[in-house]
Amino acid sequence: MRDGERGRWFVMPSLILLSIVTIYPLIYVLYLSLQRRLLIFDVSRFIGIDNYLFLFRDDRFLNAFKNTLYFTVLSVTLELLLGLSIAILLNRSFRMKGLMRAIVLIPWAIPTVVSAKMWEWIYNTDFGILNYLLGVKINWLGSPFWAINAAVFMDVWKTTPFVVILLTAGLQVIPKDLYQAARVDGAGRWDIFTRIVLPLLKPVILVVLIFRTLDAFRVFDAIYVLTGGGPANTTETLSIYAYKVLFQTLQFGYGSTLAVVVFLCTGGISIFYIRLLSKGVRL
Amino acid sequence: MKRRKKVSKTYPGYADLHRPVILGYSILLLLLLPLFAGCVSKKEPSGDGVTTIVFKHGKIAGDPALFRQLIDRFEVRNPDIKVKDETLPASTDEQHQFYVINLEGKSSDFDVLSMDVIWVPEFARTGWLGDLSTLLPADKRDEFFPGPMQAVTYKGGVYAIPWYIDAGLLYYRKDLLDKYGFEPPRTWQELVKTARYIMEKEPKIYGFIWQGKQYEGLVCNVLEYFRSNGGDVLKNGKVVINSPENVEALQFMVDLIRKYKVTPPLVVTAIEEPTRHIFGSGRALFMRNWPYAWNIFQRKGSAVRGKIGVSRLPSFPGKSSASTLGGWQLGINRYSKNPLAAERFVKFLTSPESQKTLALTIGYKPTRKSLYRDADLIAQQPFIASLYDIFMTARPRPVTPYYMLITQVMQPEFSAALSGIKTPEDALKSAQKQIERILGAE
Repeated sequence: MRDGERGRWFVMPSLILLSIVTIYPLIYVLYLSLQRRLLIFDVSRFIGIDNYLFLFRDDRFLNAFKNTLYFTVLSVTLELLLGLSIAILLNRSFRMKGLMRAIVLIPWAIPTVVSAKMWEWIYNTDFGILNYLLGVKINWLGSPFWAINAAVFMDVWKTTPFVVILLTAGLQVIPKDLYQAARVDGAGRWDIFTRIVLPLLKPVILVVLIFRTLDAFRVFDAIYVLTGGGPANTTETLSIYAYKVLFQTLQFGYGSTLAVVVFLCTGGISIFYIRLLSKGVRL
Repeated sequence: MKRRKKVSKTYPGYADLHRPVILGYSILLLLLLPLFAGCVSKKEPSGDGVTTIVFKHGKIAGDPALFRQLIDRFEVRNPDIKVKDETLPASTDEQHQFYVINLEGKSSDFDVLSMDVIWVPEFARTGWLGDLSTLLPADKRDEFFPGPMQAVTYKGGVYAIPWYIDAGLLYYRKDLLDKYGFEPPRTWQELVKTARYIMEKEPKIYGFIWQGKQYEGLVCNVLEYFRSNGGDVLKNGKVVINSPENVEALQFMVDLIRKYKVTPPLVVTAIEEPTRHIFGSGRALFMRNWPYAWNIFQRKGSAVRGKIGVSRLPSFPGKSSASTLGGWQLGINRYSKNPLAAERFVKFLTSPESQKTLALTIGYKPTRKSLYRDADLIAQQPFIASLYDIFMTARPRPVTPYYMLITQVMQPEFSAALSGIKTPEDALKSAQKQIERILGAE
């Protein structure tokens, strides 16, 4: 038995399991997405790519797509910048470093729905601590401008710790001698950061980006609990729209089409990052 | 032989080599086992002739033990039936999702289900509910309030039995109205006048709060304005949402916030509980809410205890008030293996006796009219008894299997009007077009 052949037998069990729980539903959703299937109208027939064509005429889809992109780009960027800064701070040696690291993790440890409920109260115009601290009376979740940004802010608060953990792990792998050597050579802090830390941290940063972009793109529970997609759909993301179409209005065909769109987008994003990652490692 | 020998030089032994593979497949088999087990019937046939039925319902308000006592009473009287009651997640959306997934999959894992008033026509249309017309023959139907009865009837058949009822109410601060010599308002305009007058004297108080977040409760609120101005969403199967009456009503809601400023902008994100908190801490003069808030306000330590009253919602001049109907109904899963036992249980839970017990123990409002003349109920729950007139005229949301599609159109449009993204005219025009398209697809 050659190595490759042997490997195949090792991989097979997980492949079988994966195909049952992942591939089969995936193919079924693809099949559904080519159907006009409305349970309450008793309609179920094959319509080809009509559902996909309808996407471009569906203002609500375009709006949800725009919201999802805005949310993803803004929250991931902020989380990375903030997470990197905190990770670098936490990587220095100071007293009670362990305690600080533990405290930073708290937001991430709170279940999403709980933290969304908590933020709903924080943002409350009347009782909310945010307005109290700022001394203003802004209706954060009620104004079309603030609502989506409030959701981004909550997500940044919640998932920056995740970025911090991964980046801290990455920082600890960088050998101390490199810093010392650089300092001996007269490199300043900025040089050390851009020439040593960033390049060596690149693979970890890419992993962080994969996780965070995919999660942000599929965001559902946090925003659903916080605003339910309102006001006037200004915070409705693709996943929320797909959920409403599938489970509230029982349009299984078109709902599946929306789910496939989310799948294709996240698939595209992962392939893009994995390419970057494999290039990065080779360098 | 030759080949194997070569292998054994590099690797330990044949058996060692295959152990992980065998382990892997065993684990796979174990993981798959439940899948196959799922195909075989799960219910163990009980030899002693006892049938077990499963009852799915939302969270029981109040003490679940009191509710279980009622089920125990049923089991004592029906020794051949055991009832397992299983609580679903608190959010009604999640309950709807649970039923949709399981009923679409023809699940027979539960027999009796409790349904929000807006789901019954939809579930009846999809063929998920057993026909209960024999359980509730035509001559018995007027024992129930007309609103819920209308909501559970689909194409002449009855698909669920009304279990308990809810309707929108106007809560007011009796002490403040008395102090400034006002009566509870009969029209919306009187409400505005009263609120503006008292807000001037009591600067720290909001005038009128209600629920304006983009969710189902917003539709309940808006319909109360539409209908108290003679408007509606559907009339004889026709879409009439874009009517002058409705535009005027929706404009009035916007004006409450923008023009009269008796309603704070925060209502645009408010659901029931935040408004209940504001009113309960004594910071609002009027509030639209469901009856559940009353008992909370009357608890010891409540800031408004003994200072409040309720009345029916105001209307536009010359029109009549129209509370939106809420409440839950019991139906039977069409795929149930024990429909007869399930029927007996539904009959028991919706009987006058059970409804009375539930009203006295956990405050569920009966759907049977006769109970509102019951001496015990009047003595122990005078508040519930006082709601009779409001329940009599409470109106269900549009009774159509397509309601869930229609509400998905109305919620963002109403929200857009309230938050100033669209004018009421534009919002209703757009809603009219979308709803016509939905109904046209039939």
